[in-house]
Amino acid sequence: MDEIAAFLRAYPPFDQLPPEAAMLAAEHIQIEYFPAHHDVLTFGGPPAEFLYIVRKGMVDFVREEEGEVLVFDSLGPGEAFGYPSLIRRRSPIVTVRTRTEVLAYLLPAEIFYHLQAEYPLFASYFAASALHRLNSAVRSRHQTAEPSLFQTRLQELISHPLIAIQPDATVREAAQLMRDHNVSCLLVNLPPYEVYDQNSGIITDRDLRNRVLAAGLPDSTPLRQVMTAPVVSLPVTALAFEAMLLMLERHIHHLPVTRDGVVVGMVTHTDILRRQSNSPLFLPRQLQRAHTLEDLRSYGDQVAAAVGALLDAGVRVSDIGRVVAVAHDALIQRILRDVETELGAPPAPYAWLVLGSEGRYEQTLRTDQDNALIYADEHPPDAPEYFRVLAETVVERLVACGFPRCRGNIMASNPQWRQPLSVWQATFARWIDVPDEEALLRSGIFFDFRQIHGTLYAEGGLRPIITRARGNKIFLGRLARAALRNPAPLNLFRNVVLERRGDQKNLIDLKHRGTAMVVDLARIFALEAGCIDTSTVGRLRRSWPAASIGETEAESLVSAFELLSLLRLRHQRAQIEQGDEPTNLIVYTDLSPLEQRELKESLQAIARVQRGIATVYQTGRIA
Amino acid sequence: MRLPWQRKRAVPELVRAYEVGPWPDARSYWRDVRYVVLDVETSGLDARRDALLAVGLVEIEQARVHLDRRWYSLIRPPAGLLVEASSIRIHGLMRADLADAPPIDAVLPELLDRLAQRVLVVHVARIDVGFLNQALDLSYGTRLHGPILDTSRLAATLHQNAQLLGEISRDMPIPAIQLRALAIQYNLPVYPQHDALNDALTTAQLFLAQATHLEHQGIRTLRALLRAGGVQSR
Repeated sequence: MDEIAAFLRAYPPFDQLPPEAAMLAAEHIQIEYFPAHHDVLTFGGPPAEFLYIVRKGMVDFVREEEGEVLVFDSLGPGEAFGYPSLIRRRSPIVTVRTRTEVLAYLLPAEIFYHLQAEYPLFASYFAASALHRLNSAVRSRHQTAEPSLFQTRLQELISHPLIAIQPDATVREAAQLMRDHNVSCLLVNLPPYEVYDQNSGIITDRDLRNRVLAAGLPDSTPLRQVMTAPVVSLPVTALAFEAMLLMLERHIHHLPVTRDGVVVGMVTHTDILRRQSNSPLFLPRQLQRAHTLEDLRSYGDQVAAAVGALLDAGVRVSDIGRVVAVAHDALIQRILRDVETELGAPPAPYAWLVLGSEGRYEQTLRTDQDNALIYADEHPPDAPEYFRVLAETVVERLVACGFPRCRGNIMASNPQWRQPLSVWQATFARWIDVPDEEALLRSGIFFDFRQIHGTLYAEGGLRPIITRARGNKIFLGRLARAALRNPAPLNLFRNVVLERRGDQKNLIDLKHRGTAMVVDLARIFALEAGCIDTSTVGRLRRSWPAASIGETEAESLVSAFELLSLLRLRHQRAQIEQGDEPTNLIVYTDLSPLEQRELKESLQAIARVQRGIATVYQTGRIA
Repeated sequence: MRLPWQRKRAVPELVRAYEVGPWPDARSYWRDVRYVVLDVETSGLDARRDALLAVGLVEIEQARVHLDRRWYSLIRPPAGLLVEASSIRIHGLMRADLADAPPIDAVLPELLDRLAQRVLVVHVARIDVGFLNQALDLSYGTRLHGPILDTSRLAATLHQNAQLLGEISRDMPIPAIQLRALAIQYNLPVYPQHDALNDALTTAQLFLAQATHLEHQGIRTLRALLRAGGVQSR
C-alpha cells in the first residue's frame, strides 16, 4: 500500500495531496490489466466509473475520422485519464486505447469526488484543458515569488492622483495646490490643452526650492518660467526597475506614467524605494558609481548573479529577460558615453543597435555580442573613421566586461555592419526582395533589432522597410519554410523524440528544438501583422489579430516559450554553478514527471502552430 | 487425514459454511469469477514442523484487484517454536511483533470467511496449500475445499503454448518461476518482496496478466484455466 501511495504521490495531481489522502486513495485502488490495442474508454460509450492511472505501459488518445485513426496524445506511467468523463458524468470525449499491455490503477468515482472536494489543488488539476494545465503549471511556479521591482509594472505603482495646473498660474498657486492635495509635483497643462501627453510640463517641490526660492524669484513668477517640459515619462507597462534606472540617470524623483501616450499618473522615487527589498535593485547605483573597466566588469557579474536570484524568486523568464536587457543596455550606454567623451562628440548622429536575443529582450546570460551601428547619411568625411574607432573600442570593452565576440562577426566593429542609414535601408530591402539563404539567416538576427543609444532614429528609418514584408508572400513563404525545417521533435505518437550525442542519451536541445522554434514562428506572425514589437511574447500577444494564428494558439505558444526558457535557463545556471560551459542540451529523463509532461505539451503546442503555418504557406509536409 | 466423524471437536458453523461453498461454476467466463489471491510467510518450509507467521490476501472481482478488500494478519507461532534467525532475515517479522499477534485459532475464522466461495490463487501452491491444510486440519479437521490456481503452473503452460505457437524457440528452457522474475517478464511492478500482502498483490497482478494472455489463446472459462494451472488441495 505504501508503495502504491508513493507511486501516486510521485505524479501530479496526487503530488498535491498530503500523505494521508494519498494513502486513502491507494487503499481504494482497483488494479486492472488491459491487453494491447484494447479500448479502455470509448468515445460516446458509457461514462468512466474510475479515474485511470497508468502504472505500466502506454495508452493513446485516438480519434477516428473517415476511417482513419488519429492518435493525438499518449500517456505513460503516472499519467491519469478518464476525468473529463468522470467529472461531467457523461460519455468519454475520446477513445482511450492501450498501445501496449497496460497495468492501470483505477480510483473509484466516489473516492475521486471526495478528493476533489477536499483538496482544491488536486481538483484544480482536472479543472481545465491541457492548455490551462500548462498555464497553471507556469503560474504556480511564480506564485511563491513576492512581487519585486522586476515584476512590478509602473501601472501598479501609481499612487498619487494626477493634479494638473495651467502654465500661467503662479508658483504660489502651484505651492498651494500641492499643499491642498498633499502631492510633491504637478503636471502643467500645455498645448494641446487638456491632452496630457508627453509634451506636458512638470513642476516639483524641488523646482520650487531650487528654481524659485534659491534663485530669489517672486512668488508671482508664472510656472512656465520654472517648469520642466516636455516631461520625461515611461509607459505604464515599463518595469519599476526601468523607472529606477531612468530616475537615477536623469537625477529626477518624479516620473509621469503614460498609457497610449497620455499621462495617466505619477510615480515617485519614494514609491519605488518602498518596493525595494531585493539587492539586484542596487545595480543601477553601482553602475553610476563605477569608474574603471574593472568596476563595469563587476557590474556585469552582478547582473549575472541577479539572474540567479530572480530565477529562484520565481520571476518569469520573459521578465528576467527584460531586467537583463535594461541592465545590459545601461552598461552598453555607459560604455558608449565614456568612449564618446574620450573621442569627442560624434561628428554625425548615429544609432547603436543590439540584435538577436538581446534585441528581443531574451538575453539571460552574457552571451555573444550582436550589435551594429548606423550613422547619418549626411556626415563629414572623418565620420566613418570616428565610428570605426568608437565601435572597435566599445566591442573591446564589452569583451572585457564578459561579453564574448560574436563568432559570426555580427558586430559594429565589422565594417559590413557599420554603415550609413541608406546602405542599411538598401540591405534590409534586398533581404526582403531576394530572400536567399543568407537573407533569411540575416533577417532572423537583424529584424529583431533594438536601438539602445544614439540620436539617429533607426526605428523610423528601418522599421517601415521591415513592415513592407507584410504583403510579401514570397519572403514570408520562404521564412515559413525555413522555420519549418526545424519541426517540433515529436514522433507519430506525439511523444518527444530524444537525441543521442556520443555516450549521452535521452537528450533534447531546448534552444534549437525548443525556444528557437517559437522565436521563428513569432517573427513570422509579427511580420504578417506589421507588429513592431521585438520580444517573442510581445509579438505573439500583439500580432495574432492580424496574423495566421488564433488567440488560443498564440497564448499556448507564449506558455510553451516561457516553459522552455525556464527549463533552459535553470539548466544553464546549474551548469555555470558547477563551473561548466552552459549548453542547451538537457537529459529529458532527469526532468520531473510534471516537467516532462509540460515539455511534451509545449512541443505539441508548437507542432500544432507549425502545422497551421505549413497549411497557410503551402510548404507541403513539414520537413 | 481423518474422516469427518473422527474430527477432534465439534465443527464450528463457519467451517461448515466454508465447506458447502458453493464454489464458482467452472463453465463461467474467467472474468466473471471471484478469486482470492493469497501468500503466507512461514518459519520454514516443512508444514508439519514449521508454523505460519503471516497471511496476506487480496480479492479479484470483475478481473480487478480490489485493494479495499485486502487483508493481512500476523500469526503468533505456537509456544516452543523457535523462529530461526535465518527466516527472520527473509520476511523481516520480528519475534516481538509475533508475540503480540493473534494465534492461528483466532486467525482462521476470518481467513475461511475470505476464502469461501472463491477460487484460491497462489504462487507455487504446494507450500502455501500445505501449511493452510495443516492448520485447518489441526484446528478443525478440515482442509481447503475450493478450486486452486497456481500462477507458477500457469507460467509453465504459457511457456509451453508459446513454444507450440512458435513464439519462442523449443530449446528455451522452462522459465524461472520466481514471482519477481515472472512479474518483470510481464512488465508488472514488483512490490517490496517477502511481505505476505505485497507478494499476494504481485501474484494477483501476475494472474491477471496471465489470464489475459491465455484468453488470447482461447482459454476463456474457469475450467480451462484450471486445466492450464490448477492444483489439487492435497
